[in-house]
Amino acid sequence: MEKKLTVKEMLDKQPKHHLTIVLTILILGSMTLWSMAAISIPSTNEGGITIIRSILRSLADPNRDWLFTLRPIGIPRQMFETVSIAFLGTILGAILALPLAFVSSRNITGRLYSFIGILSVTLIRTFPVFVLGLMFVRVTGPGPFAGVMTIGLASIGMMTKLYVESIEDIDKGVIEALDATGANTLQKIRYGIIPQLSANFISNSIYRFEINVRNATILGLVGAGGIGSTLIWAMSAYRWKDAAAALWGIIIVVLVIEFISTRIRRKLASSD
Amino acid sequence: MKNNKPNPLTLLGRRLKNTSRKLTFRPKEAATPASADGATMNAAPLLSDKIKTTINKLTVQTKNVRTYTLFDGTTVLEPFSKTPLIFLILGTLSVISWNVTNINLFYLFSRFSNFFDILWRMTSPRWSYFSTAIGPMLDTIQMSFLGSLIGALLALPVAFLSASNITKNRFVLGSTRFMLSLIRTLPVLVYAAILTLAFGFGVFAGTIAIILFTFGILSKMMYENIETVDLGAYGAIEATGASKPKAFVTAIFPQIMPSYLSYSLYSFEINIRYAAILGYVGAGGIGLLFDDRMAWRRYQDVAILIIMLFVVVFTIENISRYLRKRLS
Amino acid sequence: MIKFDKVGKTYPNGTVALKEVSLEINQGEFVAIIGLSGAGKSTLIKLINKMHGVTKGTLTVNDTVVNAELKGKHLRAFRRRIGMVFQSFNLIGRTSVIRNVLAARVAEMNFIQSLFGLYSKDDKIKALEALDKVGILEKAYTRAEQLSGGQQQRVALARTIAQDPSIILADEPVASLDPITANQVMKDFARVNKDLNMTVIANMHHVDMALKYAKRVIGIRDGVIVYDGPSSEVNESLLKEIYGRDITDEDIMFKDDEEQQA
Repeated sequence: MEKKLTVKEMLDKQPKHHLTIVLTILILGSMTLWSMAAISIPSTNEGGITIIRSILRSLADPNRDWLFTLRPIGIPRQMFETVSIAFLGTILGAILALPLAFVSSRNITGRLYSFIGILSVTLIRTFPVFVLGLMFVRVTGPGPFAGVMTIGLASIGMMTKLYVESIEDIDKGVIEALDATGANTLQKIRYGIIPQLSANFISNSIYRFEINVRNATILGLVGAGGIGSTLIWAMSAYRWKDAAAALWGIIIVVLVIEFISTRIRRKLASSD
Repeated sequence: MKNNKPNPLTLLGRRLKNTSRKLTFRPKEAATPASADGATMNAAPLLSDKIKTTINKLTVQTKNVRTYTLFDGTTVLEPFSKTPLIFLILGTLSVISWNVTNINLFYLFSRFSNFFDILWRMTSPRWSYFSTAIGPMLDTIQMSFLGSLIGALLALPVAFLSASNITKNRFVLGSTRFMLSLIRTLPVLVYAAILTLAFGFGVFAGTIAIILFTFGILSKMMYENIETVDLGAYGAIEATGASKPKAFVTAIFPQIMPSYLSYSLYSFEINIRYAAILGYVGAGGIGLLFDDRMAWRRYQDVAILIIMLFVVVFTIENISRYLRKRLS
Repeated sequence: MIKFDKVGKTYPNGTVALKEVSLEINQGEFVAIIGLSGAGKSTLIKLINKMHGVTKGTLTVNDTVVNAELKGKHLRAFRRRIGMVFQSFNLIGRTSVIRNVLAARVAEMNFIQSLFGLYSKDDKIKALEALDKVGILEKAYTRAEQLSGGQQQRVALARTIAQDPSIILADEPVASLDPITANQVMKDFARVNKDLNMTVIANMHHVDMALKYAKRVIGIRDGVIVYDGPSSEVNESLLKEIYGRDITDEDIMFKDDEEQQA
């Protein structure tokens, strides 16, 4: 006869979360207090509010001359350059990340080497984008070329991580099956591995491209080409209308690219 | 467990079915004109087929969309492959971008030694710089923590407003989503630059920038999650006589809490690295030091900054990964 | 006591769900409502706890008139005495079984308590006792989504019991369960009805289950009651009248006689 539990016994069996909850609250609380101590709210000076107001106002009335022209100084040209920087940079990063990813995958090189791989990639990722930008500016001089190299190198980090996730997910069964049909190594790669990875690779690359367009807009700040330089110049000269034009350029392009990219990625996810 | 391995060829067939393109099978009896499901061949090729054939001709494939005839007379049409077309488009775009960005490979290779020169100098860090750098490093952590926290708290209610299964009012739904995508478009650094103009240099501007950024990405992640929630339990609790808010927190919150916490931790991970950059425009933290040291070409100091940042990022990422695994 | 007095329900889009219904149900009865889908079964039940509003006639539940004036705090207080069990269980999957049952007590707590899930010890004991009554006490701390369909429905029943209602409404409670589990759940309903003297009104898709467990059967066709009497007197011609057609396999839970023995 099974001994039936009584209600009282069940009550005592309650999983006790109290310790975890109290600990979490303590940690979060102390971190919050510590953080708040460092952040002193500046006495909101009149100038600050005025500036924000001017910026918001000029967003409604940007420099249309710049916005709708095809001259080199015009926003469209600059955004085109920015997007090109992002485009080539993404391709560069995607290509460079491939071998790195294979090296860093546990099912290809084993635990130790993959760990080293991931560590090195994390190291590369730690370099802030603009530090890389400055470094490349020393190599190629200021301009979009430096931007491409920077984006390329900066993308490697994230792309490798995403690639590794896909690679470690490979279904070994397909490779075995191909083996059974007598395929050689090249064929196994072509028909066994590549189809499984390609959809994810493309999706990841497109996602990274989206992010890189945003990064490329910033690079102008360090002189690596693109709309960033115009933006920062306009802002330091307090030329709000010009700055607003640049901002609108960024907003529109990023929205469009995000839209297209989401569409493509959704199709990729559903069709395969 | 592994003694019932299916035939590898079955596995292959199964997997290929998922990865290959969809083949069209047309039975032999399809000599008669079009049936309801279009499983027959039309005498005159459609315009779209003609275009596809032309493109296929121009790109790598053979003349026609390939047709295979099986032993019993069934014909199989291999569908139009998009791959060569995609490569063509990518190639064209690359060439255009190449020209626009003035890439000069020769220049690159001749001057590349500068890059390695810099890296080489970074390999011997100046440890005494540590004491100067630790302050701003802590600032960066504080900035990103507070920013993530506040951003996350603000994101949740707004996420509910942008979730189509919670907010029925189309105007509210649409305008919230639009506002969110606007906020998401601008990069953090731009926000930081603008905010420093308004609030002066320092950590405050940076924190606000991080709040905005976290708010933007977290609310998107959350509303996509909220839309998958099961509202049945909500109705059931309402039927027991609980008020709407109570039913809400009892039935819906538990369903989204795990992903909310998980995504918030993930945002914190991302924010640490962004917070490091913000100093470049003067929004406080370690970015200021990066700018300063790079300008003076003190690469050995830069190395220290990178090492410190690496340690912090690595630790936080791993703690976050561990916690996130526990949450699911 | 529940009293329908010439009650009718027309939806805003014009559909007439109930034409004119009059009946009385006393405390402690076990009533099954049968009929075609769309005949008005679901509507009848949902009128009782005002998930839908009455558009014609008077509905009185335990001395409360259920009309448009019953809202806000009074409606909530009213609903607390009526429990509802759904076909799709409507549990919170990722939470433990006991938390699901405790959710029934939320109506009695204040907002802060419900936000943080601070249930009193008495609440927890009540919840455990409810689980005991449906026979799954040992699963109290398991995640709800890990249970089988029948077990989940029993948790839903336990949640209803924990409310301490005087009436339990069940909207197709066993329609998504397999025959054996359905039997177990219906037995739980019968036990709750007998031991706790709670009125049970169940919408049943399967005629044999309805006849087996309910003492009284109400047959609805096209928005009117065509039969209201003891289940023992229901025969095939009566069923034909209620359904407007012959009884098919779809309307029966047990296809073979052997399964009936379970």
